[in-house]
Amino acid sequence: MNTIRLYCRSMGLQIRSQLQYPASFLMQTLAQLVMEGGEFMALMLVIDRFDRLNQWMPGDLFFFYGLMSVTFYLTECFGRGITGAFPYMIRTGQLDTLLVRPRGVLIQVFCSAADPRRIACIAVGVASMVLGSIQARIAWSLPKALLLLESIAFGFLLILGLFLIEASLVIWSVKSVELTNTLTYGGRSACDYPIDIYPRPLRILFTVVAPFALVLHVPAAWILGKPLYGWPAWAAFLCPLAGAVSFGLFYALFRRALRHYRSTGS
Amino acid sequence: MRAYWCVFRMRRRMELQYRGAALGGFICQLFFGLILIALYRALYAGKPQAVPISHISSYVWLQQAFFRMLLATDPDLADKIRTGSIAYDLCRPLHLYTYYYVRILAQKLVGSLLRAVPMLAVACLLPEGWGLASPAGASALLTSLPALFIGLLCVSALENITMAFTMRTLDPRGMQALLNMLMMVFAGNILPLTLFPDSWQPIITRLPYAQLLDAPIRLYTGDYAASAAPGILLLQSAWTVALAAAGLLFWRVNQKRMVVQGG
Repeated sequence: MNTIRLYCRSMGLQIRSQLQYPASFLMQTLAQLVMEGGEFMALMLVIDRFDRLNQWMPGDLFFFYGLMSVTFYLTECFGRGITGAFPYMIRTGQLDTLLVRPRGVLIQVFCSAADPRRIACIAVGVASMVLGSIQARIAWSLPKALLLLESIAFGFLLILGLFLIEASLVIWSVKSVELTNTLTYGGRSACDYPIDIYPRPLRILFTVVAPFALVLHVPAAWILGKPLYGWPAWAAFLCPLAGAVSFGLFYALFRRALRHYRSTGS
Repeated sequence: MRAYWCVFRMRRRMELQYRGAALGGFICQLFFGLILIALYRALYAGKPQAVPISHISSYVWLQQAFFRMLLATDPDLADKIRTGSIAYDLCRPLHLYTYYYVRILAQKLVGSLLRAVPMLAVACLLPEGWGLASPAGASALLTSLPALFIGLLCVSALENITMAFTMRTLDPRGMQALLNMLMMVFAGNILPLTLFPDSWQPIITRLPYAQLLDAPIRLYTGDYAASAAPGILLLQSAWTVALAAAGLLFWRVNQKRMVVQGG
C-alpha cells in the first residue's frame, strides 16, 4: 500500500514539475496532438479510399485504432520511467542511487518519470474510440465496459513488459537497443489494425511473442459483436490475461539482467 | 569553397561512426516496411486501386530506404543556442547558412546511403508485390536519380528553415514537431501520396514536401510518365531555390537579433 502511495505522490510531483513551464508544456502537448493527429488523418484517408478492410467496417477500424492509442499512450504517460528514461539512467550511472535505497528498483524507476504531454495522444485515441463506437453502433453493457477496462489494464502491463525487454538489453549493452522497437513501436503500428488481416508470420509474432492480438484485438472484436476467429465470450475475457503473463516473464528477465548490472559511473 | 568541403567530409565521417545504430535502424525500418506492405495488400485485396500494388510496395521501400533523408536533424544547433556557444560559430570566417546547409546535406546524404543500399538490396529480393519492382524503364531510372538528388538539396533547404525557427525560440520542440509532422505526412512517409484522395493530388504533388521523395519515386515506378520529367525536375528546382532563398533571408534576420545565452 505504501508503495502505491509513493508512486502516486511521485506522479503528482512529476506532473507538477512539468507544469512549472506552462508555455513550454502547452507547446509540447500541442506538438503531440499534431503528431497523433497526423497518424489519425492517415487512417481516415485509408478509410476514405478503401471503405473497409475485409469484414471490418470504418467504425470497427476507428475503435481498434483508438483502443491501441489509449493503451499505448497511457503506458507512455505513467510508465515513462521504463519506456523512456531507463536507458539514460544506465548510461549515466544514475541507477546506482536507486540500488542503495530501501525500495524495489522497478518501482523507483516508475516513480522517476512521467510524461503528461501524452494526454493529447490519449485524447485523440478516446475520440477515435468514441467515433468508432458510434459508427459501429456498439450496444454498450456492463460486461462490455468491464472488458474494455480489462483490456486497457492488461495492455498497459503488456507494453510495460515489452519495454522491460529493452531495459534488460540496455543493462547488458549500455547503448540503447533500437532493435526492440520492432516489438514495441512496431507492435503499436501493426496492431492499430485488427490482427487477422496480416499474413501468418506477423500474426504469430503479435499473438505469441508480443500478444497484442490477445490483449487488445480479441476483446475489442467481441465488444464490436464480431468475435475474432469466432471465439466465444469467455475467451474474450480470458485472453487479456496474456498481458500479465508477458509482464511476469519479462520482469523475470529484467531481474536476471539487473543481477549482471555493472555501473558505468565514474 | 574548400572550407565547406571540409565541413562536409567531417560530418560524413561522423555519420559513419554509428554503423551499429545504422544496423539496428535498418532492421527496424525493414520490419516497418513489411508491416506497411502487409496492410496495403490486405486493403488492396478488398478493393483494388488504379495504382497497382507493386507500385505501392516499391513506394514503401523507397520511402523506408531514404527515410533518413527526411528525418535527420542536427541536434547540435539547438544545444548551441541554449548554451550560448553559438557565439563560436558566429566567429568562424564562414557563411553561417552555408555552413549549416553543408553539414545537413552531408548528414542526410551519408545517413540515407548507409541505410538505402542494404535496404534496397533486400527489397529487390522480395517477391513481386512485396518487394521493390524494377524501374518502369531506363528513362524512368535515369530521370528519378537526378530528381532524388534535387530532392536531397530541397530537403536540406527545408531543414534549414526549420532550424531558423529553432533559433527564434529557446524551446523549439513544439515548432519542430509541427514541421516534422507536416513533412512526414506530405512527403508520403506515413501513407503513400498516391493513396491520398484523387481530388487532393493537384495540390499535394505541388507542395514542396512532395518534391523530396514522392516525385523521384513516382518517376521511378512510372506513375509519372518520362515525358513529364522535365516539368517535374523544373518544379523541384524552383522549390529548392525558393526555399534556400527564404532560409537565407530568415537566417540573416535571425542573426541580427540573436541573443547569446549564458555567461
